[in-house]
Amino acid sequence: MPIRCLQTLHAVCAAGLWLSAACCAPSAFSGGGASVYGSEPPAAADLSAARAAGRARSRLIHSGNLRPPADPRVPAGNPQATDSGPMPTADVAGFQQRIAPVLQRSCVPCHGPDQVEGNLRIDTLNPDLLHGPDTAWWLEISSVVARSEMPPSDAEALADSERALIVEWLSEQLRSASEVQRAAHSGSAFRRLTRYELNYALQDLLGQPFSFARDLPPEPFSKDGFQNSAELLQMSAGQLEVCREAFLKGLQRTTVRGERPPLLHWGCSMQAASADEWTRLDKQQQQLREQHASDPAALETALAEFQKQHSRRHGGAYYLDPASGLTDGIQWGYGGAQYAWPPQSTPPSPPPTGGRTAIVPPGRKLTVELGDQLPEFGPLLVRVRASLDSEPVRAAAEPASKSGRVPELQLEFGWQASNDSQASMRISDIRHPVTADPAGPVWLEWRVPLDEIEPRNLVRGINRLGDTPSPSELIRIINSGDSPGAVRIDYVEVTAPAWETWPPASHTELLGTTPNTDEQSAAREILTRFLRRAWRCRVEPQELDRKLALFNTIRPQARDFQEAILEVLAAVLASPRFLYLGQVAENSPGGCLDAHQFAARLSLFLWCSIPDESLLELADNGTLQQPDVLRLTIRRMLADPRSARLPREFVRQWLGLQLLGFLKVDRRVHSQFDDSLHEAMQTEPIEFFREVLNTNSSVLDLLHADYTMVNQRLARHYGLPEVAGSEFRRVSLPPELHRGGLLTQAGLLAMNSDGLDSHPLKRGIWLLERILNDPPPPPPPAVPRIDLADPEILKLSLKQRLENHRSQPACYSCHARIDPWGIAFEQFDAVGSWRTSVRGKPVDAAAELWNKTTLDGADGLKTYLLEQRQDQFITALVSRLATYGLGRPLRFSDAAQIEHIASQLRAEGDGLATLIELLASSDLFQSR
Amino acid sequence: MAVDTAALDRRRFLRGTGIALALPLFTSSSARGDQPADHTPPRRLACFYQPDGVPMPLANDPAFDEWAWFPHGSGSDFRLTRCLEPLEPLRQHLTVLSGFSHPSARSIHGHSNADQFLTGAPTGPSGEYRNGISLDQEFAAHVGDQTRIASLVMSTDGGTGTPRGAHTMSFNRHGRPIPAEHRPKRLFDMLFVSSDPDAARRLALSRSALDDLLEDARSLQRSLSSEDQRRLEDYLHAVRETELRVQKAAKWIHTPLPKVEAGSLNLELTPEQPREFLQTMYELIYLAFRTDSTRVATWQIGRENGVGISDYLARAVGFNLTHQLSHNTKEPGGWKNFGTYCRFLSEELARFLQRLEATPEPGGEGSMLDHTLCLFGSASSAFHLSRNYPLILAGGRSLGFRHNQYLNYGPQNPEGGAWEGGQEPWQKAVSHEDKPLSNLFVSILQKLGTSTERFADSTGRVDAV
Repeated sequence: MPIRCLQTLHAVCAAGLWLSAACCAPSAFSGGGASVYGSEPPAAADLSAARAAGRARSRLIHSGNLRPPADPRVPAGNPQATDSGPMPTADVAGFQQRIAPVLQRSCVPCHGPDQVEGNLRIDTLNPDLLHGPDTAWWLEISSVVARSEMPPSDAEALADSERALIVEWLSEQLRSASEVQRAAHSGSAFRRLTRYELNYALQDLLGQPFSFARDLPPEPFSKDGFQNSAELLQMSAGQLEVCREAFLKGLQRTTVRGERPPLLHWGCSMQAASADEWTRLDKQQQQLREQHASDPAALETALAEFQKQHSRRHGGAYYLDPASGLTDGIQWGYGGAQYAWPPQSTPPSPPPTGGRTAIVPPGRKLTVELGDQLPEFGPLLVRVRASLDSEPVRAAAEPASKSGRVPELQLEFGWQASNDSQASMRISDIRHPVTADPAGPVWLEWRVPLDEIEPRNLVRGINRLGDTPSPSELIRIINSGDSPGAVRIDYVEVTAPAWETWPPASHTELLGTTPNTDEQSAAREILTRFLRRAWRCRVEPQELDRKLALFNTIRPQARDFQEAILEVLAAVLASPRFLYLGQVAENSPGGCLDAHQFAARLSLFLWCSIPDESLLELADNGTLQQPDVLRLTIRRMLADPRSARLPREFVRQWLGLQLLGFLKVDRRVHSQFDDSLHEAMQTEPIEFFREVLNTNSSVLDLLHADYTMVNQRLARHYGLPEVAGSEFRRVSLPPELHRGGLLTQAGLLAMNSDGLDSHPLKRGIWLLERILNDPPPPPPPAVPRIDLADPEILKLSLKQRLENHRSQPACYSCHARIDPWGIAFEQFDAVGSWRTSVRGKPVDAAAELWNKTTLDGADGLKTYLLEQRQDQFITALVSRLATYGLGRPLRFSDAAQIEHIASQLRAEGDGLATLIELLASSDLFQSR
Repeated sequence: MAVDTAALDRRRFLRGTGIALALPLFTSSSARGDQPADHTPPRRLACFYQPDGVPMPLANDPAFDEWAWFPHGSGSDFRLTRCLEPLEPLRQHLTVLSGFSHPSARSIHGHSNADQFLTGAPTGPSGEYRNGISLDQEFAAHVGDQTRIASLVMSTDGGTGTPRGAHTMSFNRHGRPIPAEHRPKRLFDMLFVSSDPDAARRLALSRSALDDLLEDARSLQRSLSSEDQRRLEDYLHAVRETELRVQKAAKWIHTPLPKVEAGSLNLELTPEQPREFLQTMYELIYLAFRTDSTRVATWQIGRENGVGISDYLARAVGFNLTHQLSHNTKEPGGWKNFGTYCRFLSEELARFLQRLEATPEPGGEGSMLDHTLCLFGSASSAFHLSRNYPLILAGGRSLGFRHNQYLNYGPQNPEGGAWEGGQEPWQKAVSHEDKPLSNLFVSILQKLGTSTERFADSTGRVDAV
């Protein structure tokens, strides 16, 4: 299996998805941050000691770059006083004196006139990093020396002091080179909003939770994994057309016309639903009474037998009469819509509690068929009266009361039109935990916009109820099955279209409350409000006039005022002033964003959306970029619920979580894997990042922490004490579980498996790319294939196969850098469960890095990263967050700024919220 | 709805004289509008769907020789059975294919798969539903603006049907079903009597909005640095291209409709007069092509699984319900009965193809058939089995299609035989790797003049066609 995967990965490389040797990756720039203050010490006693030891040797802390990089707005030699210094110059003299002799002795023997390993001659490189042509080579050298990957272990070792000397000098010069390039180059960060940003922006602008961007094509992923990367966000005629359609449709969905549509109610009591069944049961009992009328003893036996037969649990949902304890299965069939509840125009009254009820066992569904009268638009309100089912006779092997977990209800919508044409889909993310006692059932409620449901039953209004294909629609209430407990539901009430007010608030917020008879002033009022928000700027009078002129052109062709004004609003949204951001005026000094563009970048970063009014006001009055105001603003924005989008979108892209969504686990082998676990796995990294952010905890917690975020399903997967409900909450992690931090989260381990077994290569590459920002180079064009037909190869263990592969010279240089990082995770299987043996053999998770350090399993790997690679990880995270926040790939010219932010972060205690503040208030963030 | 047996003999229509057409010559300006003269003859695509599979008696069945749907032999040395025999005169224009299917449907009940016949999307057996763009719409996206109607979407049952029970073959780029028209009268009116009254208004609205967008973009562009300006070029280009599209569409509004007299064409037919209904629907496609009103057409001849008006089509050959024929094959004469129905479909397909063949391509070499690719098929072969789709390609020789061949990529002993109860063929493990049908779609799209490299789950092309 691993062999096949090697080939897959090579195919990936061939497709160009792999980074080429990243000569301008800023992480490489600070020498990767590996220790240069002493060779590998004995492993620290535990992970927190490792963390302290790693901090003690951080280069960013001890000789970091706290001086702000040169201000590109100030030309070199200009004495004008700023915080930043003047443009730096190259230290060629220092190179000749201190660096060249060390290189000559340690490197040139293999990278010089006699031998040209790796096609590199160090003796002929230009030592002027600021203006010379060899800066990319120097970057590479700086990285490999800092990580102790060079000189190789079979060559003469480099003294620690010499290693430190080289790395220090190169870092300083590379930083200066970056500043020089920054002053010389401009580049562009002008970009279109992404599909998901458009969706959030429209939700905020129009005040509805709809999926406005559903029809827009998905954005591609950049080499760094981001979807908001300026150079990839194109706009074709087709895309523009889809955008315009989607905007107009979104505006139409936000507004209403005419009189309030009549309310329809469905009151579905299980007492009524089971009437036929109980008539039959009663009749059967009556027959027994008649049959045994003369023999009371026989009657008693017969009735007892009847009772026994008819009080059993059923596989699917079933009815229960709590008074008698009798049960019966629920019949449902689509044919003839004979089970459809008719709607009524008056609100039904719920029956008294205690009557017959439906029992929904774990993983089962209660179907409520609603016929063909559900409207096209408006909110669908579903209310369910529910409680736990605690009857011991029906309780599962493990009684619900003894389990810490609770059953949860979810809502599905669907239909069955004929025997082979059916659909059913979840229409709400809400999962209601059920904890109520049968004596006191509670109401649970879902509210779903009907036009968000897609597809609906399309023969509604064409076929009559009772025809086949059937136009009837139904809802299903599902017991999600994360707990052994069954749920009682004795009444379901459905109301549609359940508008809370008419016209709804979203309508009046857009178009005003009172009908204005003067169309011109009404249009002016609406447009003034809307342009300001959508274009997030001070709207010039002539721009407003132009939109009014458009209104006047359109008005005669439109049916009424509303149609015309919505067309104009759609044009406002299709304008580049809504769709694009990050522009810089031609004459802007140093390529700085103006206050409004900066406000937009800030809100896109923190909220994935457009600025709100208070942010716009700060931009208007020019105070936004004042350090104190900015810091307070960032804090306000992080405290706003919209900031939940930052972890969701950043973490998804940073870690490549879409691959976890696509993961197909072999459920025959991993029978514990289910949809709830899959969902929880995708949520944990996001919730964990959010927790670190909200508590301003150290970013190193992302590498290892003694807590994580779980819900009941994930807690069970991890073997943690049970927690109740699907909400995520913080729990402590005992060390014996070997969890903590992103790397050992089940979802990320599963994502980098092949669904059947672990996949060390995927795990290794992912760690190098996403966590350490040190992507391995692509494989050479002609890599030898592993001969799968060779029986000797098939006998080998996975680790041996990888070793075998590494032993081939063409494979060695790459795989020696990749494999160990993945092998260290071998204690985790394809679904991220801890294991001690693989196919009967003990797990071998000891891995030796290229620099001869041994990683002992995942704990050893985390210890190593915390001790030796803190700066590298932090610089990598700063780089990725900056790439995301700027919406463009980083350039070499950004490296000095990145290092500066990383140094500040270390000096201020590594907090994640601190990092966001530092980044958002940096010079980098305020220019293109 | 009793069977109108008299209807079966009413073949007065469309024979020989057909309908009296006051057709303006195809190349005249009234039909083609004031478009700049385009000397490349049009390329057309028509797709037809037969539901519920085809007769698949096993090789040892007495009915195998005459009534197996797939031909006997292979390559150019093949013999059509009685199911396809009516197509024999068109042999030089015809390829029969076996051993193709959509990978995502192979283990799903055949009745749920008509939806993805032209899309190849993994629409699944139940639960959530998502479809993709269909072959015809992909082609229409390339040629749709060259005719008044981008594509003609027809079915016998009409509308969209329901997911996994489609009444249409065509799905837009978002995977949403395009409602199919089932009434000949409405089709005729749409093609030749009146145009959409709302279209002109919508286009005018669109034009005003686009002008405004262009102005917005230009005013923004003036304030941008040169690097940023380059990025905005993308947007400007998109607006300009959309304007051109709108202008093109607007032209059709002012172009007079081609004059076609209904004459003896009976437009009030329903599938209760099945043969005439089929003939009328085919004739409408022919007329739409002939007047260059569109270059793309789909017609779902029947919905899967009966329960629709298309189930009456078998009354053309004296049976009551079509879908039942596929279930009754274990009864005496069952294969013959099912095959007789297929033969009826072949007769009407042949009639349509011959009509195209008899019409010289206006302004081009050869016949209209040489410039029209027809794809006829079903998403199941044996009982409810979505593998080894029965497929016919006809026409399009001038587009580069090779014919007079039976391309058999199917298994040595294809799944077949009457179902005797128990496990159904579709529930069995996949024992033969069919070729992805989307590969054939890629080849079709390429020969139709698009630069398509991939379609749905395609993994390559089919060079043999």
